[in-house]
Amino acid sequence: MPSLTLLGQAVVSGLLAGGIYGLLALGLSLSWGLLRLVNLAHFALALLGAYLTYQLGTAFHVPPWLAALVIVPAFFVLGMAFHAVFAYFRVSEFGSLLVTFGVAVILESLIQWFWTADYRRYETAYATASIRVGPLFVPALELLACLTAAGLALGTWAWLRFTYVGKALRASAEDPAIAAAFGVNHRRQAFLLSGVSAAYAGIAGAFIALISTLAPSQIWAWVGVVFAVVIIGGLANPIGALLAGLLIGVSESVTMAVAAPAWAPLVSFSLLILILILRPGRV
Amino acid sequence: MSAPGRRVALGLPLVALGFAALAVAGLPAFYESFLYLIFSWIALATSWSFLSGYAGYFSFGHGAFFGAGMYTTAALTTMFDVPFLATLPLAGVLAAALAAGIGAVVFRVKRLRGELFGLLTLAVGFVLATIVLNTPIDGGPGVYLSGVPLPRLLASPTGTLYLLGLGLAVATVGAAYAISHSRLGLGLYAIHDDEDVAELKGVPTLAYKLIAFALAAGIAGMAGGIHAMYVSYVTVGETFSITVPLYVVLMSVLGGARHWLGPAVGATLIASSLYVFTGGQQAVLGRALVALVLILVILLLPEGIVPAALARWRRWRPRPAEVLAAPAAAPAVVAPAGTLACDDVWRAFGGIQALRGVSLSVAPGEVLGLVGPNGSGKTTLINVISGYYAADRGRVTLGAETLTARPAHEVARLGVARTHQIPRPFAHFTALDDVALAATFGPGRCSPRQARAEARGWLEFTGLGRRASALPHELNLHERKFLELARALAGRPRVILLDEVLSGLNPAEVASAVRLIQQIRERGVAIVFVEHLMRAVLELSDRVVVLNEGEVIAAGTPQEAMRAARVVEVYLGKAHVA
Amino acid sequence: MLLEVRHLAIAYGDAPAVWDATLAVGPGEIVAVIGPNGAGKSTLVNTIAGLQRARAGDLRFGGADLGAVPAHLVCRQGIALVPEGRRLFTRMSVEENLEMGCYRGEARRARAAMLERVYGLFPILRERHRQLAGSLSGGQQQMVAIGRALMAQPRLLLLDEPSLGLAPAVVDHMFEIIRAINAEGVAILLVEQNVVRALEIAVRAYVLEEGRVVADGPPAVLRQQSRIREAYLGLRDEADTNP
Repeated sequence: MPSLTLLGQAVVSGLLAGGIYGLLALGLSLSWGLLRLVNLAHFALALLGAYLTYQLGTAFHVPPWLAALVIVPAFFVLGMAFHAVFAYFRVSEFGSLLVTFGVAVILESLIQWFWTADYRRYETAYATASIRVGPLFVPALELLACLTAAGLALGTWAWLRFTYVGKALRASAEDPAIAAAFGVNHRRQAFLLSGVSAAYAGIAGAFIALISTLAPSQIWAWVGVVFAVVIIGGLANPIGALLAGLLIGVSESVTMAVAAPAWAPLVSFSLLILILILRPGRV
Repeated sequence: MSAPGRRVALGLPLVALGFAALAVAGLPAFYESFLYLIFSWIALATSWSFLSGYAGYFSFGHGAFFGAGMYTTAALTTMFDVPFLATLPLAGVLAAALAAGIGAVVFRVKRLRGELFGLLTLAVGFVLATIVLNTPIDGGPGVYLSGVPLPRLLASPTGTLYLLGLGLAVATVGAAYAISHSRLGLGLYAIHDDEDVAELKGVPTLAYKLIAFALAAGIAGMAGGIHAMYVSYVTVGETFSITVPLYVVLMSVLGGARHWLGPAVGATLIASSLYVFTGGQQAVLGRALVALVLILVILLLPEGIVPAALARWRRWRPRPAEVLAAPAAAPAVVAPAGTLACDDVWRAFGGIQALRGVSLSVAPGEVLGLVGPNGSGKTTLINVISGYYAADRGRVTLGAETLTARPAHEVARLGVARTHQIPRPFAHFTALDDVALAATFGPGRCSPRQARAEARGWLEFTGLGRRASALPHELNLHERKFLELARALAGRPRVILLDEVLSGLNPAEVASAVRLIQQIRERGVAIVFVEHLMRAVLELSDRVVVLNEGEVIAAGTPQEAMRAARVVEVYLGKAHVA
Repeated sequence: MLLEVRHLAIAYGDAPAVWDATLAVGPGEIVAVIGPNGAGKSTLVNTIAGLQRARAGDLRFGGADLGAVPAHLVCRQGIALVPEGRRLFTRMSVEENLEMGCYRGEARRARAAMLERVYGLFPILRERHRQLAGSLSGGQQQMVAIGRALMAQPRLLLLDEPSLGLAPAVVDHMFEIIRAINAEGVAILLVEQNVVRALEIAVRAYVLEEGRVVADGPPAVLRQQSRIREAYLGLRDEADTNP
């Protein structure tokens, strides 16, 4: 049984990792819950954002926050463009699964073409900075990522809860016909949501670049975990996505500390299977 | 069964022998290798289509089963010195068991089954990779099989693998042919088009999905086992990459995922053209290209090459109208008659009590009209009787058997059929095939040939004889309603539940439908007739039951029931009760 | 005439629901559409509200052609719908549902004032304004549905079977409210299975049977006709002098 300090550190790391999961899950949860579109390309988009941040930083010495300012709006537009194609071809909910799968692979190939399959690490001055809290170390960048995730989750929740657009999105997701009868333009909503979702992927990407080592195959590594987070947290539930992310992050981390390190991915998968067995109506 | 299809199927063994002969005669190693790869992809793509193409449950995890097979062989041969050939069936069984386990969990979830299944299968591969990477199975450095003895069937080592690959490919395509012409295949196709209706017609959907999934995974496992020997150095990264799932999906979809030969055609095309891209950066481009083609195919040619080609062939050389034996008189109802009885049935949804202690009975040859205002529970009752919903309390019996607590397909097999208010024919089935399905899976349990003959009889009975080879989108509403009726009858039911079968029909069509129902009644079938068209209800029904807010408020002859004070009050308000 | 419907034909796919409907509602009038289940009443009302497109015929509101207006812009013309079965946004609160009613631009500015007005009409909603709409009783849900439509400040209110599934006392209250709303100048097109209530409140009524208007006129005239009894119950009275 590992020491208390080790466990404590594991919990801290878990919370921080969970923040990233939540960040990635946000966009996916929104588009799946409100648009009924399963977007497998979300992960690829996030990784693309990561690589772009890395490139802008290492080749052009653009600080990450500036890079984000460029990337995020660009991704917003990209998200809307994707949706335009979907709408034009009237892709079914199920067809969207296959098409986004294809897009994900194309994006992965693009990434590998430009940046090769070698591991990349974005070295920044503050990469190793960390804050001491008692006997525990809290890496600064990851803390920032976690706080951003929490901020975005709360912000999204507030947006959905308090603004007219947010209410329209929720109403439209539940009963699009009646929402339209009261003036909600479903088409415009869908574009907006696609853009927002893609923008979130971009933000997640920026943090991934700062924190993790990059490799093209990372895309598929995230799928299982994030998908579990989305389902456990509840579709279109931003706070739920954050909390589920934290939960899974901590479970994985503790598992890593107590058992062998590399069993972590099984945690999310098992949790997901458990939820599916116990509460199949959840989705 | 189309003529060209049968010819190709017969030619298959010859083709196989031809390829085998080639190897024996002695092929340059390059060609043996190239052909082996094509055989391997044929086996993978074709097996994938069993569940994903025929039944429509897209799996992104075919690579997981392939990988499981690869590592089973790798581990067993290197760690336990199991002879290579013996590991192959083991690889298959293990992969099949894995699939069955996943299926048992996921296939029970009702909503969003399709997407959930897709995403879950995508995750499985990664989880498997993790397990393999972190246990002694691989541990990291990969597994070398170069020391494993390979039985020499032919002069060259690749020759053996070539033959094994050929054998598996032929077996898989043969299995595809067999399945798509069997009851299993019929059921899977029906599941693809409308799973709920398939279940209601007697198809054991859960069992069939599990079988298809396990079979597909087992074949992938065996293909993996063979491939382990081929590459002779197995690593987690290569084995569990996204390549296999991606290519398999594309090959099937391109060639035509619903057709037994489609995936094989797609696999040959793609594998051949991919040979152009070898390693390194070009492989990356190749992958991107494959993905792009997939997207284009989904958007522009969703059915695939083989079906599109077949359609064109048919337009050029129209099939001679199937020569009929003189249409049989519509078959008699065979099963022993039974009375349908509902005894104190209760059902709630969330907070709403939809049925409150409903009791009624219908005798053979009787027509029971079931009426009531909107929201009174009529359709809920039909859904409970047919087994689509479970009753919270109470029993439903037919003759001596209890229907409650049975899955819908069993209820159908016991002799309960229903029509839907909005017709739900299977989109890809001709009228004949649709009705034949009901005959195949209904209580009659016919062979496919018998089923088609019966189907023809029922189509004649409902006046659709000339429309037997039409697809649903070519039929108008009246014809589709009668197709529902023919389909319900083909199951030789003892009870038919008609859900607003007359809605949307013009007066002439209504008259002909009423006549038809009367004829059905004469055959001794018990009929429950839900309808708003009062004139028809009064004309046809022997007895009427009136529901309001889930309760029976009146029952008796039509005249009695409709004049009952409570009924008049419910429909017209107190002032009219004179 | 505020609303003019002429020879409207509506179908679901190729399943016709309404063959030939002609009716009109004048400013400030309460007009009823009665008829048995499956007659096409809801289909008709949904088409007027823009949820569906008509196959043929003419649909005009305030002189403008509604047929060409996309669904989400119909509300702006001044039509609000209280759908059959309420169709509230069950996962949103009472107040949020009401706010959705004034989603369109101009109505939003008057949000606070309109909320006051709705709470004035339905005091119990003020008490429960944070509660999830899905957890309310049938009668309360109906109030929310009516309130939501009122928030849009419509000139014409479409009421589809407001009394469905409600206890008689609640229905009484409902119809009083409807009268009050009408008194403020809002025209009402009321679809009802409950003939008695409908004829009590309406100034004119249309009888819809199997997708066609088979009778119309003031309530006094309609009450005499056994047409209604026949349409609903399918029975022909032996002592029947009117065809």
